[in-house]
Amino acid sequence: MLLSSVIIVLREVLEAALLFSVLIALSKQMGLNSRWIIWSLLLGVLGAFTYGMNINNVSEWFDGVGQEVSNALMQLTIYFMLVVFMLMLYHFSCKQKVSKFPLSLIMIMIILLAITREGAEIILYFFSVTHSQNYYMAVLVGMTIGASIGISIGILFYYLLSNLKPERSIFIGLVLLLLVSAGMISQASLLLIQADWLPSQLPLWDTSELLSEKSVTGQLLYALLGYEATPTAIQAGLYLLGLIFPISIIMGLKFTYTRKKILSDRPTKQ
Amino acid sequence: MKSIRFFLSIVILSTITLMAFLSALNGYRDSMTKAEQLFDSELMDKAHLLSIVFSALHIKNKSLNTDVSLIDLESESGKIDNGLTDETRGEDFNDHFFAFQIWQNDQLLLRSLHAPETAISQFKQGFQDINFFNHRWRAYSYYNQRSNLWIITTERKDIRYVLAENIVLETILPVVIMLPFLGILIWSIITYGLSPLRTLAKELGSKRADDLTPLAIDKQPVELIQVVNSTNDLLKRLKASFFREKRFASDAAHELRTPISAIKVHLHNLSHLIPLPELPSAKNSFLQLQSSVDRMGHLVEQILNLNRTSAEQYVTRFTELDIYNIAQDVIVKEYAHFEEKQLKIALEGEHCHINGEQFALEILLQNLLTNACKYTPEGGSVLVNISSDDNNVYLNVEDSGPGVPEDQYERLFDRFYRLNGDCHTSGTIGCGLGLAIVQQIVELHHAKISLGQSSFLNGLLVRVIFPKEGAK
Repeated sequence: MLLSSVIIVLREVLEAALLFSVLIALSKQMGLNSRWIIWSLLLGVLGAFTYGMNINNVSEWFDGVGQEVSNALMQLTIYFMLVVFMLMLYHFSCKQKVSKFPLSLIMIMIILLAITREGAEIILYFFSVTHSQNYYMAVLVGMTIGASIGISIGILFYYLLSNLKPERSIFIGLVLLLLVSAGMISQASLLLIQADWLPSQLPLWDTSELLSEKSVTGQLLYALLGYEATPTAIQAGLYLLGLIFPISIIMGLKFTYTRKKILSDRPTKQ
Repeated sequence: MKSIRFFLSIVILSTITLMAFLSALNGYRDSMTKAEQLFDSELMDKAHLLSIVFSALHIKNKSLNTDVSLIDLESESGKIDNGLTDETRGEDFNDHFFAFQIWQNDQLLLRSLHAPETAISQFKQGFQDINFFNHRWRAYSYYNQRSNLWIITTERKDIRYVLAENIVLETILPVVIMLPFLGILIWSIITYGLSPLRTLAKELGSKRADDLTPLAIDKQPVELIQVVNSTNDLLKRLKASFFREKRFASDAAHELRTPISAIKVHLHNLSHLIPLPELPSAKNSFLQLQSSVDRMGHLVEQILNLNRTSAEQYVTRFTELDIYNIAQDVIVKEYAHFEEKQLKIALEGEHCHINGEQFALEILLQNLLTNACKYTPEGGSVLVNISSDDNNVYLNVEDSGPGVPEDQYERLFDRFYRLNGDCHTSGTIGCGLGLAIVQQIVELHHAKISLGQSSFLNGLLVRVIFPKEGAK
């Protein structure tokens, strides 16, 4: 029970902690104040409790697959918010002006949704498992260990990112967010497959022997890259699409900026 | 990185947590495997023990009567009972951890109460995982060739798991519990380790502006010696530089005073020697020359004042003074200028005492009154008001001049800044140092200065707020 508690809690905490630490480090680099952090945490915890406590009602939606569908919708919303955030970040890295209020609002929304979903999963797991006295201590210790490992990795990531040079930190942050956001798409597609909204298929490959999802490394890669040992073709395709979509917009932006610069640098005819 | 202490504490704690928990997880996995092996060997021992006991019994029975099996299952003695009734058996059933069967030639000779009547596992030597009675069991089958008996011993896997986990948990729990204490310990150690840095910062922070004595180096840790050496070197150079600046400014001002006074005397003499009214162009140049010399004289005086009242140079000699009396004296001294412009000057308020320096406060008031006099049109009024409450003493100087736009208030305190620059409309002598000197004196007295619009006279209002306790 201890090991499964560690893995379940680590899976949820690590994802939120990584997202959180990357966003805080980047917001510091962009000169935002830290008020949004407190707001997003407070609202997130509140959201997690509300969602966790009403999960029975939510599950009944959409012919009994409400939980899967709403989780998938949350993941998709986080993905699109992350894409907007990445574009703003790229905009900022090109020495363009970025308005701080919408940026803070997007970050609050991302963290709020992430904590709501992950927090609700942890709350549900805790209440469903601890009614058996046999496992109480093991579950509690496992959850503490899982949460501590997740938070520790998040903290170390934060300090690693915030102590880099701004340009490098923004670049690494952008790459991390890109991978995490594509992972969100892959998770959302898995949830929709579970809800039968997407067709289920045979897995494309099976790397569980090589790197099990149930190991700490597997969980770290799951949170970072959306690692799946047995992905289906739809999942892998959507993952790739999730990667290509923001990259192509960023490339488009880059092209526009370069063209603008060339035009403005060109001497005007007398 | 806002605080080194916070950064070190949190990063060290995170790293230790990560490492400790990862190794605890590894240890947990290994311990669980070992516990599993231990249970397996115990299960094997039980089978061997049963085999030894029942083989001996079986061989003995066989020697007496060859066709009689070990124990007749149909008889009550064929079951090993623990004294439970049929009603209580059901409740107790789920808690049973161990079961066994003894077989011979497909015939069940003996079984424990909670074992099924069919063969638990295949008749194949070794360990197997099997299901029966809604649980997962670990079974060990052993064949005794001498007695031709199959002994099958089983244990419930879930109970084994809980038992093993409870034992392993006992070793992991201290690691989890010690974490908050470890956090406190790390915080305390880092706080203690950083104390020389804090002491150094405190020592530097509490240094008076004019205290340029070097810092003590003997008690500093190796890491800080370079910092202290560099700071001391800087202080030494700063001291020499201040000394040079002080000497230069005061010497230059002193040296300039004499020739300026001489120029003034010669100008005065010249004005009597040349028939100026008959030479209008010469008169104009002469007046401009006189004005420039006055301006230069004023500038030299102001530079001297600025130098004398600067915090770096000033040796504080604060005494309790009546600011009302000082204002009275300064007004008397400056009265001639006011009379010249036909300005009305009034002093209102009460006698208030503050801790201050007589000479500096005189310069402060002189500068404020000179400014008011300069910028108030002829026939205007200037009001000096001194009041107090429980904590502060207020000095207000108001005039009926044109006032100053609000966005210029801050800049007025800059050195050599004059409103509207060189195109000053007042045509009065000034060098833009007056309010800079006033601000310097205000800071010296830990007072505050603010500018505003006079509600009585519609000109500029300068308000200085002295704390009653004053700068000691």
